[in-house]
Amino acid sequence: MSKIQFRNISHSYAAESVLKALDLDIEAGKLTCLLGGSGSGKTTILRLIAGLEIAQEGSISIADKTVLENEKNLVASPDRGIAFVFQDLALWPHFTVFQNLAFGLREQKQNNFEVEIKDILSRFSIEDLSEKYPHQLSGGQQQLVAIARALVLKPKILLMDEPLANLDVKLKRKMLDYIKKIKNDFNLSLIYVTHDHKEAFGIADNIVILNEGKVEAQGSVEEIKQSENTFVKYFLEY
Amino acid sequence: MKTNFLYKVTFVLFSVFVLLPILYTLFSVFLEESFLDNLRLINSSTFLLLFRSIAISSLIAFLSTGLGVLLAFLLYKTKLSFRKGFRLLLLIPLFVSPYILAVAWKDVLYLFFENHTFIASYKGLVLILTSIFTPLSILIIGSALSNINSQIEESALLIVSPRTVMFRIILPLIKPALISSFVLVFIFSISEFTVPSYLGVKVFTTEIFTQFSAFYNHALAVIQSALLILISIFLLFSEGKYLSEAAFLSIGTKGNQQKFHELGRFKIVALIFLLAYLFSSVLMPYFMLVFQGMNDLGKAFDLLKPTIFNSVFLALGSSVLIVLVGFIVAYFSVKASKLKKIFDWILLIVFAIPSIILGISFIKFYNQSALSFIYTSYAIIVIAYIGKFTFIASKLISNAIRQVPKSLNEQAILIGISPLKRIRKILIPIIAPSLFVAFVISFIFSFSELSLTMMLYPPGTEIMPIKVFTIMANAPQSLVSAMSLIVFSITLLLIVIFHLVYQKIKNTNV
Amino acid sequence: MKYLSIVILLFVMLSCNNDKNVVVVYTTVDQVFSEPILKDFEKETGITVKSVFDAEETKSTGVLNRLIAEKDNPLCDLFWSGDPVRTIVLKNKGITEAYTSVVAKDISTVFKDAEAHWTGFSARARVLIYNKELLSQYPLPKSIFDLTADTLKGKVAIANPLFGTTTFHMAALFSLLGDEKAKQFLGDLKNNNVVIASSNGDVKKRVIQGEVFCGLTDTDDAFEAIKEGANVGIVFLDQDGIGTLVMPNTVNLIQNSKHQENAKKLMDYLLSKNTEAKLAKSCAQMPLHKGVDTPTDVPSLDHIIPMDIDYQKTAQKLEEIQLYLKDWVED
Repeated sequence: MSKIQFRNISHSYAAESVLKALDLDIEAGKLTCLLGGSGSGKTTILRLIAGLEIAQEGSISIADKTVLENEKNLVASPDRGIAFVFQDLALWPHFTVFQNLAFGLREQKQNNFEVEIKDILSRFSIEDLSEKYPHQLSGGQQQLVAIARALVLKPKILLMDEPLANLDVKLKRKMLDYIKKIKNDFNLSLIYVTHDHKEAFGIADNIVILNEGKVEAQGSVEEIKQSENTFVKYFLEY
Repeated sequence: MKTNFLYKVTFVLFSVFVLLPILYTLFSVFLEESFLDNLRLINSSTFLLLFRSIAISSLIAFLSTGLGVLLAFLLYKTKLSFRKGFRLLLLIPLFVSPYILAVAWKDVLYLFFENHTFIASYKGLVLILTSIFTPLSILIIGSALSNINSQIEESALLIVSPRTVMFRIILPLIKPALISSFVLVFIFSISEFTVPSYLGVKVFTTEIFTQFSAFYNHALAVIQSALLILISIFLLFSEGKYLSEAAFLSIGTKGNQQKFHELGRFKIVALIFLLAYLFSSVLMPYFMLVFQGMNDLGKAFDLLKPTIFNSVFLALGSSVLIVLVGFIVAYFSVKASKLKKIFDWILLIVFAIPSIILGISFIKFYNQSALSFIYTSYAIIVIAYIGKFTFIASKLISNAIRQVPKSLNEQAILIGISPLKRIRKILIPIIAPSLFVAFVISFIFSFSELSLTMMLYPPGTEIMPIKVFTIMANAPQSLVSAMSLIVFSITLLLIVIFHLVYQKIKNTNV
Repeated sequence: MKYLSIVILLFVMLSCNNDKNVVVVYTTVDQVFSEPILKDFEKETGITVKSVFDAEETKSTGVLNRLIAEKDNPLCDLFWSGDPVRTIVLKNKGITEAYTSVVAKDISTVFKDAEAHWTGFSARARVLIYNKELLSQYPLPKSIFDLTADTLKGKVAIANPLFGTTTFHMAALFSLLGDEKAKQFLGDLKNNNVVIASSNGDVKKRVIQGEVFCGLTDTDDAFEAIKEGANVGIVFLDQDGIGTLVMPNTVNLIQNSKHQENAKKLMDYLLSKNTEAKLAKSCAQMPLHKGVDTPTDVPSLDHIIPMDIDYQKTAQKLEEIQLYLKDWVED
């Protein structure tokens, strides 16, 4: 479990400012939802935590260790204990489900990874999909595989970028239950990006509402619901 | 980073081995005493001829691309019967030197109409070169069509007609491929001179060629070629600008399923169209070659036998290296900063330079005692082919790389996979079809390349296209046709073998 | 690392080169005729011959441009040309080296360079090839000037005069007739819709196919047509007038070449009666030596009235008229 701290983070893409002097604290061991409209900076925050982007200003620390400072990544992505479920799931199309999960484990030279993989697949009740390719799976199954792949590496932090965006209501509800369980079962910090506040309210321990690269409000679900912040009120209404 | 170093090494090697000879020749021409005199010979009629050639090549490129879209759609986006067979058959014009097809076409028209004034004209030139280069368009556009995520089309089909989907969704999505097709065919046709020379049609390259062959005025030929190079630079500039504005599509990471369209009542029409095109562009000239060459196949094979191993080995080795260099360039230009895009420019310029200039440059540069181990061996030809054809390979491969979602690579970064391993285990398997196409095209072009090879082949070596053309000088038509048929058959056989090998590799575990 | 070694190995294999007892020869004479002679030389002397052959002029910048480009560090030891024109171009560019072969002693000085930079052997002639069937109803042309007759409008073919032996033929006409008359003749040909073919071989083909009634070509192309069984005939034009252009093969050493001694041996071999006999048999080329065994169907120079020209001066003329010829072709 790891605490994450952003201090004075500013970041731009192609001269367009995405994050402006952002300060943010994400509690360890909690499920934190980053809420906001398009372009508010949610995905950028995830990518910065993962080390896939380098902020032009400010610093980031994970578990009290500085990972980014002075426009330099001080800790490489694989060493941050992070797993990422991308919005498009990023399942390698030419690998089977088994191979998708094994790829990272082999790289870390883990022995008996077959056992690990079997274990996690059965936890999600998808062990019979082991030899299938991503294009042979349904949307929901692909979601589960993407999450299983992230978890098999035993990360301390799990990042999820709108993972349920393309699912139907029933499946979404089922997946949300899964995600709540994951945080507890796997003992990790979970940061979840969504633009849907109902979804956030359903699972979050903490919520951060972002607007144009700045934190508008931060707190528990109740605190956010009762926030007097104009933007927050407006955001929650719609 | 190791891969960055690899790119830099490739850039330096290419610049030294390929670009330096060209610059050396260009500068020595500019420094010659006769430079100003030659420059004065570039007058309004030169420019008029250049514009006329640009117009003809643009028309050929436009027609090839248009036909390419139609045919590629039928062959890659529908479930038309025998489409895989059609795909291979329609590639046939690529397997034989353009000159031979021109001869076959002329003979066909003469046989049926006893008159070929039509063919020995600009119209004939456009007809022949369009039929020769359309297969290239089909390959490029077909490759792009295959990569469209089915969901993109299906979501549109729910709300608009198939016709609208075609014009407002599919065509804009494959814009990079359409432009690549246009640019490649344009450059091929504006650089082609054996066909217009044979037909007696005056174009810019025949003018350059005349300066070489009749007047031995290398300097003027080089200066005229510089005009062609400027056009290529302009083309690359416009293409690059356009590509940056076009929508890019992705290989669906949630599974890459392709949408096939039903033709319904148009099925018969489509089939007839395909058959008619196949007959007119492929079967008719080949019928002519077979008709003329049947009796001399044995003799032709005996003549060509000593050249087969050399030619295959040379083309094979060159293609492997071309795809390797093309991949390195494509991989970095996609991620590139402006500096790295310079390599892209260099490749285009070298591609656009007429083969004779390239040949002369190489002779002037490599024909020194210290470099004779290159000049007197096949290495000179391999370097020339790499210079000439890497542009095409890099274009095909970079289009494929652009379509791979960033997230697939980033996911691998996060779990600590090294850059080289990411390339080997993630990127290359995903773009394998495009790598294969690039390899096959490089092979075909290397195998049938004549003008450059003629300038550089080491004395005492035997290479197939050169043997065909030297024998052609004084051989009966039947022998020429028979030799052409053999060259074509060998090319076809090799491609089938490559395809089978590729299928086998694809089906083994990663 | 594994892949890098494969790439390097590939490159090394492609760079392999063997340089034993060799001679390098570039030739514009058709491979099908020249190669057997060179192979015989190899067998008889044990010297490896490495050849570069030429394709048709209109498809390739070929051998001559390669020789010019390689001037400062020649790869070639010996140049064997199908006509004197190209050799003279090389001489003028300072690429040739003088050598007097004893074997060519009895060849007329007309067919040798005054400074011994080239020596001629086995000659071809410019002839008219005609389709016997199609021309049967018209009077057979006996002179080149007959080709401007109304009956032959659009039915005469000539190879592109910017290239090959046709250039030489035009230059010879200009030398002999003077600029005015020669231009008049060419103008009349153009007005008579002369068909410009891509090569002598193409002229032959069009005559055989019947696309034209007749055309100007070289003796070896014409005899090849007869050998193929085509219904064609040959006329040596202007036997009562200016004569027929005779074009010897020529051979010359290249300056500063790497295998001079072997080149001289090859040159002597090519200039021998033996070679002339072989070329007479294979492609009806007329020997310049006396007393050479020739097949009966091969004409003898003894029975042909040649054009009275100086090869050196004709080559000079060629350079002067080239721009005119270019305009003539393109108009």
